[in-house]
Amino acid sequence: MRSVAEIRGFVRSRSRRPRNWTDLYSTGLGLAVVAAMLSQPAFTLLAAITRQADPSRMGAGVALVMLAGAGFLAAARAIGPVTLPPADAVWLLISPLDRRAVLRGPSGVLLAVSAVAGMVLGVGLLAVLGTPDHTGVRLAAAMLLGVATATGGMAAAVLAQASQTWNTWAGPAIAVTAALAVAVALLGSGAGRRLLTAAASAPPAAGAVLAATAAALAGLLVRRAWRALERIPARTLLDASAGRGRAAGAAVAVEPGSLTWSAEDAHWRGRALRSRRWPALPAPMALAWQDWRRLGRRPGRLAVLSATAALPALVARTGGGVLEGMTAPAAAPGLDAVPGLDAAPGLLGVSLTVGLMLVGGLAAAAAGTSGARRDGDNPALARLLGVDPRRVLAARALLPGLLGGAWLVAVLAGLTVTGALPAGPWWPLGAAAAPALAAGALRMARRRPVDHAMPVIDTPMGAMPTGVIAWALTGADLVVLGCLPLAAALLFQPAAPGGLLAAQVLLGTAVLSISVLREGRRRRDPL
Amino acid sequence: MSEAIIVARGVEVTLGGNPVLQGVDVEVGHGEIVAVTGPNGVGKSTLLRCLAGLRTADAGEIAVLGGPPRDEPAFWRDVALVADEPAWYPGLTVREHLELMAAVHTGSRMDVGEALESFGLASRADAAPPALSTGQRQRLMLAMTLLRPSRVLLLDEPERGLDAEFRRLLASILTDYAAQGGTVVMATHDPGLAEAARSRRVALADGRAESTV
Repeated sequence: MRSVAEIRGFVRSRSRRPRNWTDLYSTGLGLAVVAAMLSQPAFTLLAAITRQADPSRMGAGVALVMLAGAGFLAAARAIGPVTLPPADAVWLLISPLDRRAVLRGPSGVLLAVSAVAGMVLGVGLLAVLGTPDHTGVRLAAAMLLGVATATGGMAAAVLAQASQTWNTWAGPAIAVTAALAVAVALLGSGAGRRLLTAAASAPPAAGAVLAATAAALAGLLVRRAWRALERIPARTLLDASAGRGRAAGAAVAVEPGSLTWSAEDAHWRGRALRSRRWPALPAPMALAWQDWRRLGRRPGRLAVLSATAALPALVARTGGGVLEGMTAPAAAPGLDAVPGLDAAPGLLGVSLTVGLMLVGGLAAAAAGTSGARRDGDNPALARLLGVDPRRVLAARALLPGLLGGAWLVAVLAGLTVTGALPAGPWWPLGAAAAPALAAGALRMARRRPVDHAMPVIDTPMGAMPTGVIAWALTGADLVVLGCLPLAAALLFQPAAPGGLLAAQVLLGTAVLSISVLREGRRRRDPL
Repeated sequence: MSEAIIVARGVEVTLGGNPVLQGVDVEVGHGEIVAVTGPNGVGKSTLLRCLAGLRTADAGEIAVLGGPPRDEPAFWRDVALVADEPAWYPGLTVREHLELMAAVHTGSRMDVGEALESFGLASRADAAPPALSTGQRQRLMLAMTLLRPSRVLLLDEPERGLDAEFRRLLASILTDYAAQGGTVVMATHDPGLAEAARSRRVALADGRAESTV
């Protein structure tokens, strides 16, 4: 039997054009350009971490790094992490070839990606904890710790693909990491501050020992994962590779909508459900109830949604109270300022946080619009149900409004409690923005596929396909328009925001009302 | 023929420069089943879309229930269409889809339990549609269509994915529907289904319609 290397060589020899020295030159040049582009921000970052950190920001910062690590591993598990290109999955996987040899390439890619992600996490951790002395040793230890954690975590994710025991523990382990991150964020500004300060000022040798131990453990895990590659069931790899194929197809066609449906259907295909009686409601609300029931069956998504409401407060806390940037007092005496954060204009920090809040609010509202999305893609059921589309849209606005509004209320309350916003009744602004968020989420749910016939504009940053940009902005445009008073209130922070609150109520209601009234003029299935 | 429910006169449609329908005349009466037959690409689905108001004919006149067909709720309350791929809402079971249909329409033609039995879905009542086979999803679509009240049924290849036994059952369900005063127009490739439903056959060829039975 031939080896995998021989077969890959055969496939390459039949490709349209054999690889030559110009390919190597292009690759090398590309890497050099990327390195040159990244060098400046890297030097700025390295200069920024050479400082004594602010203990009040450490908890939130460490929590963000932990959440980023947990998110990285959760994403890896969602993808596979071991996948194959669709052609390899079809032709090489189900064959007598040595499976570990078939999977060597993808495994190498995973190792490289984990190493890079780990380095970023390590530098991020050091940026949060600061480097009072021995910057070189501390940086090396932090990077080694980050690489060891990320590669070890990735190896555990690979083991979870091969073994049911590991698979059972992997999900809870990521959840525990996220919960620990929340605990660190909460305790970091109180009881845990002393502990974090002690960790930050620990001698560099202690950090080096910790990193070396982590690296040894990661090495063991990677070795075990390498051996387990041949035990990963073909079915698991085929499913993961099919998902990768769909993702690639969606990327090539620039049609992310197709990806979300395949993921949604895959989710329900594997679930055991129990029918419950449909509530006796007026026809439009009975139809809209589908989204309420669907969301009730996805408590995990609701939990993640609730947890993300803490992110703006965490980010603001790490940045030293971003929302007070315009009126922030000078840094505490004895502490060096963080270059790039304290020096940044307050307006930029507030604008970024407002943008994060609007995008997050839109995402929260969009969690309750699956029915509108499904009817937009395939209106067969909507026709069969025969309910007035305006009344349906009005009924369907309730859930996204509730989700988006509640998320914003939680965010504003969190920012007030953590001191990122001055004391005051900010949370009603979130509730007042609910109709605008619902209108934006429903507009996003019913947007048409990307129009590739729209022009591509050449800019100094490269070609900009206007069809994709218009598609991406559909929905967000309505949120920005409908939440202008909220944004103005956060930007200017008036002593009495009552006027802006009233304006938010009026504008949000107007935006949603106009959306509902315009619904009757939409053609569902243009030909 | 009894009172005409669907009248199409001189319908012409051109798709991408290709004349598909060239003066099609069809008339369907109250309580009648018409099976539109013909090879792929002859215009069966296009004719059905014209009757459903989803495509405007380039020439000719179409009236359904006394007026031009329109893609509006008032039209869909009397007319039920099964075309293309089956549709479903994420997160709902088979039973809940039927209950949703019954909750939205007053005066359902059958109750949910009866629909589950009639369409062979009782054992899959708690399944989500993505977990069903192709044929079972088509049964669900047909069950939702025939559970709700309607005066006209427009079916585009209803036999898609169905086994031979259920096709015979479907023919009997359609015959009952017509006996209760409903009107059915279906595009089909299954002569057995058309015959079992005791339908009048209209063959499309060269862009024109010809009644064969």
